Amino acid sequence: MFNASETEEKIAPAKTINGRSENESDREKRYFFRLNLSERLQHLIFVGCFLVLVITGFMTKLPKNMLDWLGETGNTVFYYRSMLHRAAGVIMILTSVYHIYYLIVKPAGRRLLLDMLPKVRDITDMISNIRYYLGLEENPPEFDRFSYKHKLEYGALFAGTTLMSVTGMLMWTEHHWSKFLIDISTLIHGMEAILACLAIMIWHLYEVHLRPHKFPIDHMWITGVIDEDEMKAEYSIHYKKIMNDPELQKIYIKRSDKIEQGI
Amino acid sequence: MYHFRLKPVKIGVLTLLSVFLYSGTLPAKTPAVPDTENCLLCHRYPQMGRFDETGKKRVFYINEKMFANSVHGNLRCKSCHIGLDKIPHTDIKKVDCSTKCHIEEPSTNKEFSHINMIEKYEASVHGKTVNGKVKPNADDLPTCKYCHTNRMYNPFRAVWGKSEALSEETLVRCMGCHTEERWAKRFYSHFTHRMRRRRNPSEIIELCTSCHENREKMARHGLETIETYKDTFHFTQVKYGVENAPDCIDCHVPVNYSTHYIRPKTDPTSPVYIANRTMTCSNQGGLKVCHPGATVKFASGRVHAYGVKAKIAAASNLKEPNQSGNLVVERAQAEIEKKEIFRYKVLKAIRLFYQVLIALVVGSMVVHQTLDYVRTRKRNQKHH
Repeated sequence: MFNASETEEKIAPAKTINGRSENESDREKRYFFRLNLSERLQHLIFVGCFLVLVITGFMTKLPKNMLDWLGETGNTVFYYRSMLHRAAGVIMILTSVYHIYYLIVKPAGRRLLLDMLPKVRDITDMISNIRYYLGLEENPPEFDRFSYKHKLEYGALFAGTTLMSVTGMLMWTEHHWSKFLIDISTLIHGMEAILACLAIMIWHLYEVHLRPHKFPIDHMWITGVIDEDEMKAEYSIHYKKIMNDPELQKIYIKRSDKIEQGI
Repeated sequence: MYHFRLKPVKIGVLTLLSVFLYSGTLPAKTPAVPDTENCLLCHRYPQMGRFDETGKKRVFYINEKMFANSVHGNLRCKSCHIGLDKIPHTDIKKVDCSTKCHIEEPSTNKEFSHINMIEKYEASVHGKTVNGKVKPNADDLPTCKYCHTNRMYNPFRAVWGKSEALSEETLVRCMGCHTEERWAKRFYSHFTHRMRRRRNPSEIIELCTSCHENREKMARHGLETIETYKDTFHFTQVKYGVENAPDCIDCHVPVNYSTHYIRPKTDPTSPVYIANRTMTCSNQGGLKVCHPGATVKFASGRVHAYGVKAKIAAASNLKEPNQSGNLVVERAQAEIEKKEIFRYKVLKAIRLFYQVLIALVVGSMVVHQTLDYVRTRKRNQKHH
């Protein structure tokens, strides 16, 4: 599929233990960008908003006996809860709107959008990967920049955020609408919140905290990079594309004094 | 028991002295309680009481100080307790709040009784009669004492509450001219007592739900229980103790009427009567301005979530006559329109859809990630 090039021959075949190669020393290790600065910032703001929204949102579901001890302060607590929830919601919506602009206008965003589009091979990858989990295959399938996992999660994010934003705004302006519409909005907002929370906790936090080589926490959301071994192990197709294309190397390889330019 | 042998004169003198002694000291100790008949001679003892026919302990002890400081502290015992001519009080009648208690109501100079409130109450949904006839299951209905708990000892200063300092300062101004302290305090309390409700929203809901969440009791009267109010955002605010959180009284008691006059939603005076809804939600005479921008569409909706009546109406075939004889079913079929049934079904469907979706999605995620973990560990171990 890929032309064997000089660069490929120079690189030792991937022989990984825990994602780390035993042949290369740290000095020669290359780092590959997964998230650029803008994407990291968007993610960070989104995370902050999400946490605030979840906490302030589920505060409305607490049972009465838990709230009795608040006493006189309950009024103030509720006021700030409501305000924070709306503020965080607005920031999340603005971030999402910026993200759509980013996807359409910015070159990096356009690349992200194109790479994130679902393809038929994602389904075959998923089946293949599950077969690998079940021990029916020796090796996992090779993934491009975004695997079916990322695409599913991104799609869920898109859909979930849209639903929450729309129903949230409807509830915020409730007196304009019929009570029936408000009832629907409230129901969807609450149920989607449960779904999103569970999805984040079980899926996303496993991916970034509990995967054995990432434990206790993956730093990629701060630094934006993963090392070459992980690149070869997890995203081998993307890796090969980058190593064959100098333009892509400029985009995806992190430059530093120790790393030769233009390889 | 031993008997004294005394001369009649000595007996007479001693008796007179005793009478003066007793009659002089008791009123002197408690000038606040107008106990002109000296009821406290016996009733001031904590052990005063008896066991009635059912074995229940009846306590007849009157704490003078507490009573003097209560809203009824100005009244003689005989004003409320009728039939006290004999000792022991075998002729005594049950206290009736509509009794005239011989206080002159200063605005009309008429004899005061609580009859005004009682008449309103009888005309309300909680009254025992309708069109002169006693309702079925009238024993379920609350009497005065059900809500006016501890009416004898309700302290008249209790609701000065947070603003003890303000009340002291205000009183100083009153007493500049109205120099009798006790009168001034009672008048001030009588006034300020009514400037806010005794119970906070949480307590009101507790009181109302004590009957209105009782499924059997409500079924006897064709009503559904109101736990669906507790699913609303209104109740969330009550839980947190938000000021002016809407409780039962805010929406069910007509504005400028008393709590005793709650009427059904079919009555034009009721705030939940369909034509009054927008006013109820948006601006209750300036007192509660909760949804000032409320439109008719918004206000006409159902506030408590759909409850058991909608469930019944959705389940039953409306064309068939009600054969169960159950009052709730009958009213469900009569009150719930097709539109409401549709809405109920839509909401139920959305909820079910999400429950299934969450179960499937989250279930798959758990399976997928567990497999990933197990496989990764296996692979790492193999390479070691």
